[in-house]
Amino acid sequence: MESERKPISVALIGNPNCGKTSLFNYITGLQQKVGNFPGVTVDIKSAETKLPGGEVISWVDFPGLYNLYPTSRDEKMVVQSLLDTKDIYHPELICYVADVTKLEKHLLLLDQLRDMQIPLILVLNMVDLAQKENLEINATLLAKKLNIPVVSVSGRSGEGIGNLFNAIKEQIVKEQISVDVQHSGYKFSGEETNIIEELKPFFPSFSAYKRLLIAHHASWLPFISASERIHLLSILGENSFKSLPFQVREVTQRYNFFTPLISSVLKKKLIDGFTFSEKLDGLLTHRFLGLIVFLAVLTFLFQSLYIWAEWPMMIIEEGFSNFSNYVSTYLPDGWFNQFLTEGLIAGLGGILVFIPQIALLFFLISVLEEIGYMARAAFLFDRIMQLFGLNGRSMVALISGGACAIPAIMSTRTIASWKERLITILVTPFISCSARIPVYTVLIGLVIPSKTVGYIFNLQGLAFLGLYLLGIFAALISALLLKWWIKSDEPSFLLLELPDYKLPVWRNVGLTVWEKVRTFTFEAGKIIIIISIALWFLANNGPDVKMEAAKKEAIRVSTERQLSQNETDNLSKAYLLEASYAGILGKTMEPIIRPLGFDWKIGIALLTSFAAREVFVGTMATIYSLGQNDDELTLRERLSVEKNPETGKPRYDLATGISLLLFYVFAMQCMSTLAVVKRETKSWKWPIIQFLGMTIIAYISSLIAFQLLS
Amino acid sequence: MVKVQTGEKILSCAKVGFKGVVSHFNDEHVACRLISMGLVPGCTVEILHKAPFGGGWYVKSDSLHIAMRIEEASCIVLR
Repeated sequence: MESERKPISVALIGNPNCGKTSLFNYITGLQQKVGNFPGVTVDIKSAETKLPGGEVISWVDFPGLYNLYPTSRDEKMVVQSLLDTKDIYHPELICYVADVTKLEKHLLLLDQLRDMQIPLILVLNMVDLAQKENLEINATLLAKKLNIPVVSVSGRSGEGIGNLFNAIKEQIVKEQISVDVQHSGYKFSGEETNIIEELKPFFPSFSAYKRLLIAHHASWLPFISASERIHLLSILGENSFKSLPFQVREVTQRYNFFTPLISSVLKKKLIDGFTFSEKLDGLLTHRFLGLIVFLAVLTFLFQSLYIWAEWPMMIIEEGFSNFSNYVSTYLPDGWFNQFLTEGLIAGLGGILVFIPQIALLFFLISVLEEIGYMARAAFLFDRIMQLFGLNGRSMVALISGGACAIPAIMSTRTIASWKERLITILVTPFISCSARIPVYTVLIGLVIPSKTVGYIFNLQGLAFLGLYLLGIFAALISALLLKWWIKSDEPSFLLLELPDYKLPVWRNVGLTVWEKVRTFTFEAGKIIIIISIALWFLANNGPDVKMEAAKKEAIRVSTERQLSQNETDNLSKAYLLEASYAGILGKTMEPIIRPLGFDWKIGIALLTSFAAREVFVGTMATIYSLGQNDDELTLRERLSVEKNPETGKPRYDLATGISLLLFYVFAMQCMSTLAVVKRETKSWKWPIIQFLGMTIIAYISSLIAFQLLS
Repeated sequence: MVKVQTGEKILSCAKVGFKGVVSHFNDEHVACRLISMGLVPGCTVEILHKAPFGGGWYVKSDSLHIAMRIEEASCIVLR
């Protein structure tokens, strides 16, 4: 390599749970960027750093995998990047990370990678744990036997990182990095050799093993052109190429090669009886006690999201409203002032207010993940969740959805199967989140009498509970339907490794929280700002003639009624909202929502509460000239005396109230959630499907309820 | 231990606490995955726990702990 400043791309590859990400975090810290493989929803982390000698290294942290025969999307992406020399993440050097305490299980992939002829360094991770477990390894002998440089490090403490850097430097200063295939553990069978030869004209520069991998993956590799694919598949057909038996043969043969090799360099003290992790699992994965512990953990998680996030959220909300007041007082009146305070600053506040919940949830989740508990939770709930097309890990998302769907949807990243992850993302917003509580409170108080039934139950409390259960029910039923509807080519496996329990590495926890908060703020945040400005525009602007007329009418009515300055302001706000584009929209959609028992006033509130459900309360307050009054009780009193002009009966009767409640249980009334779904699924397709689906369900159930009750 | 028609002993027929040796696998998909994770023919396997509601199996093999479904456990043929 020349001393030109082109970064050298170094990949960290290894089995799941080999501590690869800890090592990556140690080396790169806050430098890391989250990118994604083009066209798919697999995230990949990369970072550029300088070695002590000044060489620029571009590190890539690939998803963990066991072999080069992938079963999930993440794994496929790794294989694709390694095979395609033009791929943006294709590495010049691989640091193969293996957990030294499980070395006899972790060398298979190394042996395969060697045959791909990409230069390798074997990084023995967790040497600190090896010392504790009285495990002795002769790294020099191992390096000699494998003919690969071997470095011992600890991704937790950073021990040995300097040696790793030196080994990388040694590799990259070599003119031509030599790759040794003599030491490989695999000899091709006659059938495989034939295929490898037949594929030579297509991929002349590829090594024999890479051509064999092309044969195994010819059906899906994206860099193979359509005509090439047809040609390749026909060649494979003619040779009756049998992928699976070949895989099993290869993997077994490689095992037979390195198992004796490992036992000659590794001295392990056999442990009698159960290890610490196994003893702990006696409780944590116990069929009854394990469930109790899990429920306790989830309750704690939910409670802390609910209670601990409230303070910082309140501070952010008040801070923004003070800031907005300050700006509006010191800037001259006019549309720019309004745009800044009610559009931009309110939108920013609307983004930042979610950060405490996101940070808190990911703090707790990543601690549980680091400890090794999440894999156990997935194990405990695999079967039940599988019935609904979900994953054991979906439990955590569904429960956190009770606080807020946004962090919950972001937490689905750990679900390996794309189908199970997608279903979790799509159904989580059905779970009643904390933003629905103000709406429920106003409406239940309005239409459900507060009386005691069955001696101890308060009817309003029961109604509250009913709404929550309805949300859960909707989530599970739609998961079931989506399970049938969404096709998937991934085989459904559990086969999940349960790692030993470990103390969390706080650096990893901190980086996870930072990454999630940053992703939300800058990626979903962009969409939220745009929508909130659009909503502001609709609610504050209208056809000039109408707006002028509304202003005059407000002044006329208030002089006639001799209203105070404050009351006049509130009245004119209500008239202006009615005349605005939002008001016009509300009136235009009245025919559509009338069968649900809604008038144009509710229509406006449905529109504006798209910014966030709790905005319903504020909008209704404005419409009923209560000013910017967010007090739920005041609004409830005002609504209770509102009469239906046609019938003279209360406007908010049981039928309308129940219909509106159902609408809020089911409808996707949250732009921030949609923005996050767009970010997590990397397309507008799913958020649009989700929005339409939830709105249709909401419409139909409100329609049925209103028509039956009225 | 229940014997299936072929006379093979299958892991999914065993109870919690069972310990045995893997002979081979009767499904190639599962076989490839399990071998890659380090569960190879000749390994001892021990069932440590079963999850509630007919759920997953918690299987130990040397230093490896794997959670699997009954469908996967029924692919493991014992000696």
